[in-house]
Amino acid sequence: MDNSLRLGVFLCDCGNTMSKTIDFSAIKAKLERLDDIEYVAISHDLCLIKAQEAMQKDIRDRGINRVVVAACSPELHEHTFMNVLQRAGVNPHLLSMANIREQCFWTHPHKEKAAEKAMVQIVLAINRARLLEPVEKAEIPVNQDVLIVGGGIVGTEAAIELSHLNLKTTLIEKEAALGGKLNLFASLYPLQITPEEVLASKLKQVTESPNIDVLTSAELIDVRGQAGNFVARIKRGDEEFVRNFGAVILATGYDAQFASQLYGFETSTSIVTLSQLEEMLKSPAEIKKIPRNVGFITDVSDEHSRISTLSALRNALGVKEKFGSEVCILCKNLKVDGAGLEKLYHDCRNRGVIFLKFDKPPKISEEDGEIHIQVEDVLMPGEQMALSCDLLVVEEMVIPPSDSETLRSILDIGLDPQGFYQDNNIHLYPTFSNREGIFFAGNCHADLDLIRALTEASNVALSAYRLLAQGRVTIEAENVMIDPSKCRFCLTCIRACPHNAIREVQVDHEKRVAQIVDLACQGCGICTAVCPAKAIRFKDWSDDQILAELELVGAYL
Amino acid sequence: MIVAERKPLEAIKQMIAEYKKILVVGCGTCVTVCWAGGEKEVAVLSSQLRLASRKDGNELVTSEATIERQCERELVEGLKDEVKRVEAVLSLGCGAGVQTIAEIFQEIPVYPALNTKFVGMPQGEGVWVETCAACGDCFLDKTGGICPIVRCAKGLLNGPCGGTNNGKCEVDPEKDCAWTLIYQRLKAQGRLDLMRKYYPRRNFQAVTRPGKIEALQA
Amino acid sequence: MNTEGAFLPDIVAFCCAHSAYPAADSAGYLRIPYPENIRVIRVPCAGRVDVLHILKAFEKGADGILVLGCHEEACRHISGNIRAKSRVQKANTLLEESGIDGERVEMLTLAQNQGPKFAQIASEMNERIKGLGPSPVKPRV
Repeated sequence: MDNSLRLGVFLCDCGNTMSKTIDFSAIKAKLERLDDIEYVAISHDLCLIKAQEAMQKDIRDRGINRVVVAACSPELHEHTFMNVLQRAGVNPHLLSMANIREQCFWTHPHKEKAAEKAMVQIVLAINRARLLEPVEKAEIPVNQDVLIVGGGIVGTEAAIELSHLNLKTTLIEKEAALGGKLNLFASLYPLQITPEEVLASKLKQVTESPNIDVLTSAELIDVRGQAGNFVARIKRGDEEFVRNFGAVILATGYDAQFASQLYGFETSTSIVTLSQLEEMLKSPAEIKKIPRNVGFITDVSDEHSRISTLSALRNALGVKEKFGSEVCILCKNLKVDGAGLEKLYHDCRNRGVIFLKFDKPPKISEEDGEIHIQVEDVLMPGEQMALSCDLLVVEEMVIPPSDSETLRSILDIGLDPQGFYQDNNIHLYPTFSNREGIFFAGNCHADLDLIRALTEASNVALSAYRLLAQGRVTIEAENVMIDPSKCRFCLTCIRACPHNAIREVQVDHEKRVAQIVDLACQGCGICTAVCPAKAIRFKDWSDDQILAELELVGAYL
Repeated sequence: MIVAERKPLEAIKQMIAEYKKILVVGCGTCVTVCWAGGEKEVAVLSSQLRLASRKDGNELVTSEATIERQCERELVEGLKDEVKRVEAVLSLGCGAGVQTIAEIFQEIPVYPALNTKFVGMPQGEGVWVETCAACGDCFLDKTGGICPIVRCAKGLLNGPCGGTNNGKCEVDPEKDCAWTLIYQRLKAQGRLDLMRKYYPRRNFQAVTRPGKIEALQA
Repeated sequence: MNTEGAFLPDIVAFCCAHSAYPAADSAGYLRIPYPENIRVIRVPCAGRVDVLHILKAFEKGADGILVLGCHEEACRHISGNIRAKSRVQKANTLLEESGIDGERVEMLTLAQNQGPKFAQIASEMNERIKGLGPSPVKPRV
């Protein structure tokens, strides 16, 4: 046992509630008999500032260097007490907690058993405290440039936002021009501004900014390294070059595909996809024969897509504006939970677009350039309606962009079951990937309308900014550490790390070993458990700490 | 690297049944990398042996040590003090490691906890496959880097047998036909001429057992 | 063992900080009782738990072990729960080899808000271990 350890145990009875069952004085007396327990205190409310200030003073005055707090759950107040240690001049990682409230007092009604369990929990927390190690903070430099993959409206907007924040970006786009889908859209209803106007404005900002380097007809072919220090290899024509970045933003959008197998027919002069219709609407003068009756059909291949609905409504209005045709939209669910979609629906209705809801997919046939539709309107069950139109516009499925698997592999990130990029947590961290410093924005990872997609562009710009703005990042230094003398470079940890946070480094001029990248490490401990040479030590959750918590098994009741 | 696999616990238990104190030794090279005999596996096996012993009403005492390489005299000699304190040594090294320990510490029984299987490489996490037979007369220059001794069920040197079946082997339909793979590899490299030559039968005495190599002074 | 002499299992539950540990807290908030002889050890991810921890727990006298992590495809660390599951399977085998019933270890999944499920898991494991009796390798006191 390390003789320089001076343990302080702080018991809290949660506003006098727990002392009804647990005899804190008896526990205090037992603990004071242990050799390395310097001090035991009982409080009623350690969560309050006054009690924390007293705790801070006790720690300082008595030279306490390991703190045990027996109170509520660490989920609630671990950080509170870590701050107390910090202010008292003790490394905040030298704290061990016993959860005697949520996991003892509140859940075990039998008084004696609860009291005995609390004692055991406290002793185990003390066992653990003896084995804790300090973890220092360190500042590491980070590269402040950002790589944005995808020069559509979202990628472009992110570049503009970052340039306003004085961060330099490289914006790479596989096509010859920026703009992505907005180059193909005929309108942006319900917004009154046209896609051309939006793009012109964005392009002007991009060209005028000294902070944005645009590389069109370019693709990303390799990325090494971790957050703060990504090394990217870019190919443009015959040229390949390497650039360094601190963060990567993926804004590669989506592709649209007509599910001809599902419908049972192909497109023709009278049956077009929404994308093909947009082409027609962009250049109406080139159309030989303006259709008199236009039918739209959605929700057969995908009931859930906002983009599909948005596109159908938008283009229905476009047809009304530019062709003046009769328009009927056959749909199953009209998903209008995007910005402006409800209004767009009403605009369509007001312009005379007819909506027909079906449950069973309609039967469609083509004869002499005329499309015949047989459908059962849900408002008139049992009756088959017969419609005909000279132009049928079919929906397209929204699918992941063609390069998503390639980029997934290059960046070592995840794909969701549909093949779009997998969010770290779809509710809480939707624009974060499983890797520090790699972000997603726009439709490459979610089903978004334009307004939401642009919000994400701002979101990821700020996330990258927060990471890189200072040029230095404070990290926990070597909380997880690989011993280079024991590492056999078997690559097991490098392959197992779910956050790609372990890199190879050279030691002693020739030997290569694995090394944890502190900024990218998310503290799961998988590497620690998996290392066949036991070369990895996790200071906050070490093997000996875990084994110390297994002592006293058999001392229960 | 050398790939080995731990023997079933029952077999190991029987080996050390009569002892009350043993030293369990791991090796930090090949067997660490193939998850068979590194420091972790030493700890796991020792724990299992203690549990099994206690179940039988005994209290086996184990000490654990892992050295960088068990096939190196000086490194094995470093175990001197620990070996003095025990009745037997259980080695998690490959056969070379076990024998080195046995030779350095001739007075004490040394037991193998592993079966040394082959020379091979990883193929996905936790999977190792044999790629080299250590035949002593390497043929890989003629086959584009694919070994027919290991990967062809018949060990042929002059192209596939008549039973090659859509790229699969007739002896083991799960296996790829090595010569189909060789053909494809050489074709991609524009070196099919190598397959148009006739190679005489192998010299099976290229390695006499036990093999020995003597290098001139370095 | 309790004072009346009936067998009270020593059960250790390794609880992942993202799922089972807060679920155990949740059981507390809801005042759902579960056996006192379940001891919770907090881990940052179920993937932190090693086969060695399980074996050593039995050496120290555990009668049963639970490894509790996030549901399939919901692991914050992507593969932690999957690894934990396969390690527990390995531990089953290793324990059986050593003469200990593999049923004494199990990996289960749950979410942060499943307080009642945590209590249920704890109670069911308690019953199962009571049925199996004390571990045949409990150290003699």
